[in-house]
Amino acid sequence: MSMQTVKTLWALMRREYWENPGILKWAPAIIAALTLFGIAISLIIGARFDAELAFTLDAIREFANQPIEQRRLFMSGAMFATSAMFFQFLILLVLFYLSGSLYEDRKDRSILFWKSLPVSDQMTVGSKLLTACLLAPALYLAAAVVTQLVILLIATGYGLAAGVNPFTTFWLPSALPRLWLVLGTGLIVQAMWLLPIYAWVMFCSSWAPRVPILIAIAIPLGLSLMQHAWSLASAFRLPDINVGLIMLKRLGSGIVPTNVNMQVDTDSHRADFTDVQFSEELFMNLSTVFGHLLKLEMWIGVGIALVLLAGAVWFRRRATDN
Amino acid sequence: MSLTIRARNLTRHYGRTRALDGIDLDVPSGRIVGLIGPNGAGKTTALKAILGLTSFQGELEVLGLDPSRERDQLMQDVCFIADVAVLPRWARVWQVIEMTERLHPRFSRERCMYYLKNTKIQHKQKVKTLSKGMVVQLHLALVMAIDAKLLILDEPTLGLDILFRKRFYSNLLNEYFDEQRTILITTHQVEEVEHILTDLMFIKDGQLILNSTMDDVHERYVEVMARPDQVDEARQLGPLHERVLFGRHIFLFDRTDLGSLNELGEIHRPSVADLFVALMGDEYDNGLAGEEAA
Repeated sequence: MSMQTVKTLWALMRREYWENPGILKWAPAIIAALTLFGIAISLIIGARFDAELAFTLDAIREFANQPIEQRRLFMSGAMFATSAMFFQFLILLVLFYLSGSLYEDRKDRSILFWKSLPVSDQMTVGSKLLTACLLAPALYLAAAVVTQLVILLIATGYGLAAGVNPFTTFWLPSALPRLWLVLGTGLIVQAMWLLPIYAWVMFCSSWAPRVPILIAIAIPLGLSLMQHAWSLASAFRLPDINVGLIMLKRLGSGIVPTNVNMQVDTDSHRADFTDVQFSEELFMNLSTVFGHLLKLEMWIGVGIALVLLAGAVWFRRRATDN
Repeated sequence: MSLTIRARNLTRHYGRTRALDGIDLDVPSGRIVGLIGPNGAGKTTALKAILGLTSFQGELEVLGLDPSRERDQLMQDVCFIADVAVLPRWARVWQVIEMTERLHPRFSRERCMYYLKNTKIQHKQKVKTLSKGMVVQLHLALVMAIDAKLLILDEPTLGLDILFRKRFYSNLLNEYFDEQRTILITTHQVEEVEHILTDLMFIKDGQLILNSTMDDVHERYVEVMARPDQVDEARQLGPLHERVLFGRHIFLFDRTDLGSLNELGEIHRPSVADLFVALMGDEYDNGLAGEEAA
C-alpha cells in the first residue's frame, strides 16, 4: 500500500468521523458520562447511609489486606466489566453506521460530489469498513480507558482517605496495560469475526432503495422463516442449519472480546456455564484471542465477507443520484 | 490538436426510450462547448456517460481513457458539477474545502479562497444552512480551484443571481480557461453563455442536430426581418423557421446567398436562443419562452 493510499484512506476516515459524530464521538462520550454518573450516584447514596464513611473505608482496608491474586481478579474484572458496556453499544451502533454508509449520500444526492473526486470505489468502501473495524473500536476503547482511569482516580481518593496505598491496592491489580492490550487486539479479532455480518450490512447499504437496515434484517429473517416452513411442511422437523440463526449466533458470540461467549459457544451442545471457572484467564488471555484466528469458521467468514464487499463495490460503482 | 472527447455511435437506452441515439462527437482541447437541449433530450445522460457515471454502447474516449473502465484515473483530470449542486449537507464549509484538498491532488486552497472572498459564505457554516445559491457558489469555487483538463458544468448557474452569474462566467473565461483546458457546459440560460462559447451543440431526442463551432454558426445562419410585402418571397426561399415579432415576420435561413436576402429586409445574426427555437421546432417554442421568463 503506497503512502498516497494511506493518506487518502485517512482523509476518507476523517470524513466518516465528521459525518457521523453521533456514533463515533457522542455515543462513547455519553456512555462514559453515564457510567461515571452512575458511580457518582451510588457513592453519594452510599455516603448518606454510611455517615462517616466508616464502613466504606473499613471495607477498603479489608480489601487492601486481601491476597494479591484476589485483588487482581477483582480489580481487573471490574475494569473489564466497565469496558463491556462500551463494546456492546459499539457493535450495535457500528451496524447502524454501516447500514447508512453507502446509502446516505445516494439518498441526498451528494454522491455526485464524492464521485467527482479522484477516489476509487474500493477506497470509499474500504474507508467505511476500516472506520467500522478500526476507528470506531479505537474511539470506544479510548472512552473506556478514560472511564477506567477516572474510576481509579476516585478509588485513589477513597484509598488515601482509608490510609491504604492506592497504587498497590487499586492500580497495580488492575493490570491496565495488559487489559488494554487484550481489549485492543480482541477488538480487532472481533471485527474480523464479525466481518461477514458487517459486509452483509454494507452490501445491503450499497443497493437498498430505502431503509437498508431493515432490508439487511428482513432478507435473512425471511430466508430462515421460509426454510423453517419448508422443513416443517416437508419433513415435519426444524432445519439443522439456518441462515438467520448462523448470523445471530455469530453476532451473539462476537459481543465483547472476552471470548467467554465464544468459548462456550464452540461447544454449543454442552452450553453449561456451571463448569466455567471464573478466572482472569477468561478475559485476560491473549492466546484465546489469537486462538480464534486458527478457527476455520473465522476464515470462512472472512471469505464470505470478501465476496459481499466486492458486491458492495460493484453496486457503488454503478450508483448515481437516481 | 489532441481530442478531449471522442465518441462514435454513443448510445444509451432506458427501457424503450433512447436517451442517446448514436452520437458522434469530437471535442478538441482548448474549447468551450455549449450542449444545449430541452429537458429530457439526453444532455445529462451524455454528460454522465462522459463522466463514467452510466453505462453506454458505442465508443467513447475522454482524455484518451475509457470512462467506464478507467474512471478513477480519469477523475484526476476531470471535474464536474451535476445539474443541482449537491454538497454533503452535514459538512461545514471548511470541512468540504479540507476534504477536497486532501482528496484531490490538483486542488489549490488559495484559489478556492480567492473565489469565495466575494461571497457571504462563512467557513464555520454548515452546508445545510447555506442558501441554494450559496451552495452553488461554494461548489463553483471548489471546482474552479481544481486544475483539471476537462471541466463539465451541468446547469452551473441554476439559482444564482445575475451579478454572480456574470462574474462567474467572466472568471471562467478570463482566469480559468486556457488552451489546455476544455469546458463543457449545459444550460438553459443560453443568452448568458453564447458569448463565451467556442462550439455549439444542440441535442434533441438523443441526437445531435447541430454540432459546429460558433464561427461556423455565425457564418451559416442568417435572420431576416422581412418587409411586409416580401413575406411570400421569403417563404419561397425555404427558411428554417418563421416567427412574428410586433407584426413583422422574421425568417431564419441556413446557408443562403446574402445578396438575395438583402432585398427582403433587414439582416442580422440570430441569437443562439433563436437558433435553438428554429432548429428544435415549434413544439418547444412555448417551453423555452416559459423558461426564459422564469
